[in-house]
Amino acid sequence: MSNNWEMVIGLEVHAQLKTSSKLFSSSPNQFGSEPNENVNFIDSGMPGMLPVMNFGCIEMAIKTGYALNFKINKHSVFERKNYFYPDLPQGYQISQFEFPILSEGYINIESGDNQKKIRIERAHLEQDAGKSIHDIDPKYSFIDLNRVGTPLLEIVSYPDLSSADEVINYMSSLRQLLMYIDVCDGNMQEGSLRADVNLSVRKKGQELGTRCEIKNLNSFKFIKQAIEYEFQRQINIIDGGGEIEQNTMLFDTSTGETRAMRSKEFSHDYRYFPDPDLLPVNLTQEQIDKIKPLVGELPQDKLNKYIDNYSLDKDIAKIIIAEKQNANLFEKMISESTVKPKFIAAWLVGDIFAFIKENNLEVNSLNEKTKDITDLLRLISDDVISNKVGKEILPKVLNSEGKPSELVKELGLEQVSDSGELEKIIDEVLVGEEENILKFQGGSDRVLGYFVGKCLKATKGKGNPKLINKILLERLKK
Amino acid sequence: MSDIDIKRISYLAKLKLPSEKEEFYSNSLKDIIKWVDNLKKVDTKKIEPLHNVTEKTVSIRNDEVIKSNSVDDVLSNAPERAQNFFKVPKVVE
Repeated sequence: MSNNWEMVIGLEVHAQLKTSSKLFSSSPNQFGSEPNENVNFIDSGMPGMLPVMNFGCIEMAIKTGYALNFKINKHSVFERKNYFYPDLPQGYQISQFEFPILSEGYINIESGDNQKKIRIERAHLEQDAGKSIHDIDPKYSFIDLNRVGTPLLEIVSYPDLSSADEVINYMSSLRQLLMYIDVCDGNMQEGSLRADVNLSVRKKGQELGTRCEIKNLNSFKFIKQAIEYEFQRQINIIDGGGEIEQNTMLFDTSTGETRAMRSKEFSHDYRYFPDPDLLPVNLTQEQIDKIKPLVGELPQDKLNKYIDNYSLDKDIAKIIIAEKQNANLFEKMISESTVKPKFIAAWLVGDIFAFIKENNLEVNSLNEKTKDITDLLRLISDDVISNKVGKEILPKVLNSEGKPSELVKELGLEQVSDSGELEKIIDEVLVGEEENILKFQGGSDRVLGYFVGKCLKATKGKGNPKLINKILLERLKK
Repeated sequence: MSDIDIKRISYLAKLKLPSEKEEFYSNSLKDIIKWVDNLKKVDTKKIEPLHNVTEKTVSIRNDEVIKSNSVDDVLSNAPERAQNFFKVPKVVE
């Protein structure tokens, strides 16, 4: 039914910047405090209070500029966006309109097997609003102004996205980049990163349709659901002979539906004008240049490095770079040990991440234990213990139950790599196996596996498999 | 000069206007705009828009926290208070 329809999507992403203080006041920029704890007279919109620009926000905006390939504007202007709402005590939001700090950027995202360039029109600094709580009292709203004045960077894409999956990829790439450059904690549940989705539909190849904006989506799941619902809603209206009305929609997370949010009686008129309390931001090239080194390695840089310098497989490298904390852990282990990076990577994305997931841990919590982990990996790669024994000991090491070498000794798990001892065991195993030995010599390779298994069992799993193989072959070929 | 939509303006300003006063305010606003429109007589074709009369740049501070007001300070002018919240007539958009 929707086969010949396509969706056209642009995204407005609001990223809360993780500065210590607010955009224009020195109040703490902190989530989860007691109501109205982080509020001063500037935030609460008291008359006569003056906003003072936090340079930390400009710094973070510039870092974002570098990471998202933006043109960083030396001249930008704060304006007032006027609207009335109880959680906006100033009566206006200070934002940037005509002259944003960043313009014309892009990022590359994955779309199927290909890369797709998503152009970003602009990014500007603005204040967040407070929170209204409507469900405590039937007649009253309760207002918490803690969030008022929290610095936001609003990142506005062009309508270059054409499926829910692309939107998710775009959003997660943005999140990854912002977390790498340390300007946003990426915590969507707490609202640190939220998206407004602008969606319209058209028959393939036709002109753009009328768009609707779905406000304030704060999880990947909701973004996907909202897009799919809204896509179908618009198609149904047009198929039924109707027209799409440009509207602001709300996504109801309990029903999975979108519905119109603002009263249609009068359209909004924000009456933007330059804020007379704030002079324009004029940056020098030196100020901008100075921030460039703070950007650090981006995910793509690390991916290339892991593949080219450490010979990792692309899939494994991708898992490690997905989050900065993974990459930090990996690089810490490499710097502290002589175990091959490829070997470390395999264990990291395998048993170590599995352990983290099973025990609901933060990746960062292993930063203290990297020395023990690499010591264990050293024992495995040096054939002191088998892979199998390594897997058994790993959880004990991660639970800090002891040092790897001590654990191996205590549990008597040292691999038998003494060829004299192994030869003895192998000779015992081969007693009475004349029939199978003949089979092997007759060309049946499968028998080798049978013998290796038997030998391992005889050594209680501690025999060095490589050595067992070698000795067995010598014996059998006689 | 564009027409005055007095209903919309009072809505944006959150002012309740009795209908018999609409014409009066509409005319007053028209007069004001007519007067301000005198500015349009100036030829500004070759002049860059000016955002501020000074050449200065915005004054900045370092990213440091200073707590200057307590919850009680902030709520002292609240029309009504419930625990540490402002309590206001319900506004749901």
